[in-house]
Amino acid sequence: MKFHGYERSDGSVGVRNILLVMAVADCSEPVARMIAEGIDGAFAITQHYGCIPGQMVANTLIGVGENPNVAAVLLVGMGCEGMPAPALGKMIKRSGKPVGWISIQELGGTHNAVSKGKQILKEMSEKVVRSKRKEFDASKLIVGVKCGGSDTTSGLAGNPAVGAFVDMLVDAGGSAIMSEPVEAIGAEGPLANRARNEDVRKKIYTMIGNEEKRWSVPGAQMEFMCKGNVEGGLTTIEEKSLGAIHKSGSRTIVDVLENSDRLLEKVPEGGGFYLQDGTHMEPMTMSFMAAAGAQMVIFVTGCGGTFGHAIVPFIKVTGNPETYRRMPQDMDINAGTIITGEESVDSVGHRIFEEVIKVASGKATLGETLGYDNFSVFRTDPRLEALLNLSK
Amino acid sequence: MKKALMMNEKDNVATALEDLDKRTITSVLLPSQDLLKEVTTMQAIPFGHKLAIIGIKKGDKVIKYGEVIGNASQDIELGDYVHVHNVKSNRMQMPEIWYREEA
Repeated sequence: MKFHGYERSDGSVGVRNILLVMAVADCSEPVARMIAEGIDGAFAITQHYGCIPGQMVANTLIGVGENPNVAAVLLVGMGCEGMPAPALGKMIKRSGKPVGWISIQELGGTHNAVSKGKQILKEMSEKVVRSKRKEFDASKLIVGVKCGGSDTTSGLAGNPAVGAFVDMLVDAGGSAIMSEPVEAIGAEGPLANRARNEDVRKKIYTMIGNEEKRWSVPGAQMEFMCKGNVEGGLTTIEEKSLGAIHKSGSRTIVDVLENSDRLLEKVPEGGGFYLQDGTHMEPMTMSFMAAAGAQMVIFVTGCGGTFGHAIVPFIKVTGNPETYRRMPQDMDINAGTIITGEESVDSVGHRIFEEVIKVASGKATLGETLGYDNFSVFRTDPRLEALLNLSK
Repeated sequence: MKKALMMNEKDNVATALEDLDKRTITSVLLPSQDLLKEVTTMQAIPFGHKLAIIGIKKGDKVIKYGEVIGNASQDIELGDYVHVHNVKSNRMQMPEIWYREEA
């Protein structure tokens, strides 16, 4: 299978040509939004952990800036941050793409910063508009898989169909990545059995074990399953996890990608299926996957979901025929045909692969058509990590 | 006839493929879609929820996908509705904030 994408100078291939305006902290976000407004292909993003957010957040923002879907980056800083725009900008620039940065304080406030920012962005835009899509093999694709708003159709239809697609992509030389360690609790055995070697097997148990400790602090009532999960028929975290991991397919787990203050590991070249340490919360997981190099994400839902991501196109698959009927403007793929007996799991897997190729070549997902541009980042709480002895 | 599906031959529960009323004779299908047996539901079971396809004693494992999804917190009879009221996780309990509403 072939798709048409944008070649980047570091050898990666983008499926979108985004002009990214990155406010390094949320105090600069309004200015970043004003800069992006009205410029084609421009998105403004930020993070909400303050201006000394820690290395994990910096790793994510750098990785997102380096993501192949991003054609050029303009960083917007107030000027007094502990994580300054020039520092992040210089790291992102190593990828070879156009990167600029401005300081709102240095430029003398909002009006000057917006007009300077727009000027830089328009110059970047002229370069970006000239780039054309070229043909690439599907082996250049890195696709994230994620589920949310799960009901039992997710384990019966949606996730198995995405798992079939993941196997097809990996067999074609491409890469796939799954995170959400909390939704692997109770499913360690089937995952560990697919580990490439003993080292990877240990990493799988460590990642899931650490996540279980974070969610099992005595006295803290933590919601790790939503009410919709239970109303949809899921009884325990084990049941949810065993259904959730179906979307990872059946191929060898090549490695568990580290994601900590120390390091955010990228998906290496060469294809295969990877786990990524991280979180199960949807837009945040997608930011981690984007930072690891994923160009798009497949989202499986039972109950339905109306969101997307600023950096990675987001293909929504539902295994619930009733959800597909009720939310046709939001669900890209109907895997409910497996429940009704009209289609096999493999047949839906093929349809997902075909849709991935189309979206990789420029077809807008329903979420993109609706303008969804969620972006949020996650960091582990350094205090909890220290108290539980999980710090790396 | 109404249907419920086993995900693995080791399972002791099956998932309702449509809403099942109380006392509905239901075809329990193996993963191959072949008929295993017919079971009469003891309670109403909504689409996507589980019914017991053999009796499960209190403390015994509840198995779906061929793996343990929890243990029975009370005796479960053939055809019973199997959910949060009679199964407990061995790993993490759900927050009581909304869990109680479900029981």
